[in-house]
Amino acid sequence: MSNQDKPFFVGYLDIPGSLRRFLVLACLVGTGIFVATGLLIGSTQDEPAASGFRFDYGRQTVTGVIELTPYPLLRVTQGNDLIKPGKTLMLSGQGKFGVDAQAMGLEGGLVEVTGIILQRGTIDMMQLAGGRRGMKMVDGDAPDMETEPLGRWKVAGEICDGKCLNGAMRPGRGLAHKACAALCLVGDVPPVFVSTQPIEGSDFMLITGPDGTRLPKAAYDHIGQFVSAEGDLERRGDMLVLKLDAETIEVIDG
Amino acid sequence: MSVKYIPVQWNRNKWFYDLVMLIGVVAFLVLFLFVSPDLLSHEFPINPQVHNARAFGACAFVMLTVILCIGPLARIDTRFLPLLYNRRHFGVMTTFVAITHASYILNWYFSFSKSDKFSALLFANTSYTQLAGFPFEAFGIFALICLLILAATSHDFWLKFLTPPVWKSLHALIYVAYIAVVAHISLGILQDQQNHVFTLIFIGGALAVAVLHAYAAWLDWRGGDEVATQSEGWVEICGPADIKNGFARIKLMPNGDRVAVFNQDGKLSAISNACAHQNGPLGEGRVISCLVTCPWHGFQYDVTNGRSPAPFTEMVPTYNLRLTDGMIQVDPEANPPGTYVEPVAIPGWKEVPA
Repeated sequence: MSNQDKPFFVGYLDIPGSLRRFLVLACLVGTGIFVATGLLIGSTQDEPAASGFRFDYGRQTVTGVIELTPYPLLRVTQGNDLIKPGKTLMLSGQGKFGVDAQAMGLEGGLVEVTGIILQRGTIDMMQLAGGRRGMKMVDGDAPDMETEPLGRWKVAGEICDGKCLNGAMRPGRGLAHKACAALCLVGDVPPVFVSTQPIEGSDFMLITGPDGTRLPKAAYDHIGQFVSAEGDLERRGDMLVLKLDAETIEVIDG
Repeated sequence: MSVKYIPVQWNRNKWFYDLVMLIGVVAFLVLFLFVSPDLLSHEFPINPQVHNARAFGACAFVMLTVILCIGPLARIDTRFLPLLYNRRHFGVMTTFVAITHASYILNWYFSFSKSDKFSALLFANTSYTQLAGFPFEAFGIFALICLLILAATSHDFWLKFLTPPVWKSLHALIYVAYIAVVAHISLGILQDQQNHVFTLIFIGGALAVAVLHAYAAWLDWRGGDEVATQSEGWVEICGPADIKNGFARIKLMPNGDRVAVFNQDGKLSAISNACAHQNGPLGEGRVISCLVTCPWHGFQYDVTNGRSPAPFTEMVPTYNLRLTDGMIQVDPEANPPGTYVEPVAIPGWKEVPA
């Protein structure tokens, strides 16, 4: 039975006087919840890592030798004020695309690349300009490039895609970003391992499969997870490359 | 109440309800989208698309949480019933906010690839056998589909077309959607959070929904409608003096239906407790201008025949009743909706002055 002492609300009639104060209070509390949560959640977002497109540098053009790991790398031989000779750049196309098609058949050749730099710590990537402007062969003899074997390593950290990690997306790593990273890797964007501790002076390394193959699809299930994995490590210029053995990937708790 | 279907039967209270709701939602979004970036002052800020997606996603969660708190609050304290009155608009608004969240996600994380973005949404992450890295997007898609179904069928046309029991069962999907949203957030954004303010708000909101529902259910269980006792084929309700003028006594019948016996100016009448609109509890309403008025949306019925006043056409079943040995008794067999039953006068009844 309804309580006759309590005010009775009917939507299409005037609100009972005794209910008005309560409803005004409820409106204020309800609005206050939205104000407080909007401000609190919005102002406590984690800060993304220092990374991103360096449009402020402008479009960069450098010359170097193409190496296929199989993901194409550029070993810079003729740089500029920002990109010095000896630097190794990962390369990507627009969007979630690698540059395998452009680099095909150019391994060991001298090329000129033009694009925008994405920068994160010690690792750099260049997003090539579209068409022939992005990558073209140039005359000249390509010097031999050294690859320094660093032995077998067991590393702990996270598998990411190199482009989002370098700031194409901020944040560009983690489990919430897993699907996006997988799409990038499917599109041949170079994969990167983020180590929890510096290895040979670097927190990041390009990862491939063993024996010059692509990152095995089995590794995709572990994108964004905290894992350990083993592989042969080598240095190409200032970049580390880990030939990852997917069978050694183990998920680390916590 | 309406004799024809119109998009929204606006009245002053609905305008005010929607205005307050809009102020809350706009305040949330403005503070999140435009004020918080200055407060954060990140050197390398979150991508605007990601920031927008988070703002609309968080807003949809808060809206859903508030919506789901209104029901149990109204059961715990009837003064919250006005918040229930126009809750459907709140739900439809939530659907639009959730669609905006999904659009930002789809057009950012799942675009720019060689695949169609809708296909990419389904195949990019298929790690369904593991908890960490589980495709949490699937829960979001499911919740959004639920919200779309609820929004699309929110109009009274669907309520009448599907019948109130089916419509109410369908709209219980909101609980499934909320659980999916909780899973979506838990396996998604919470996995990467370093600052745990949102985690605390999320847990607090979800707990509030669970605790309020549990408490309201406990109150219902403890003070639920009494089961009527049977006597020679009739069920006993109470003495006539136990029902105040303009109010009702509700009893649970042996077949599970509820009957509401009203006292209208010393005359007793019995009708189904379930309003023809959304099965609201008519017995918790009261008589206004000689008509029983539902506490949920104000649908009205003549207590003697269960019919809404012309030109409205809603009807509820009536029950035959009698007074025997000072006890109101009701025939458990309901009459067809709209059947007139002669009211039973209470001998010697006098209205008690308020």
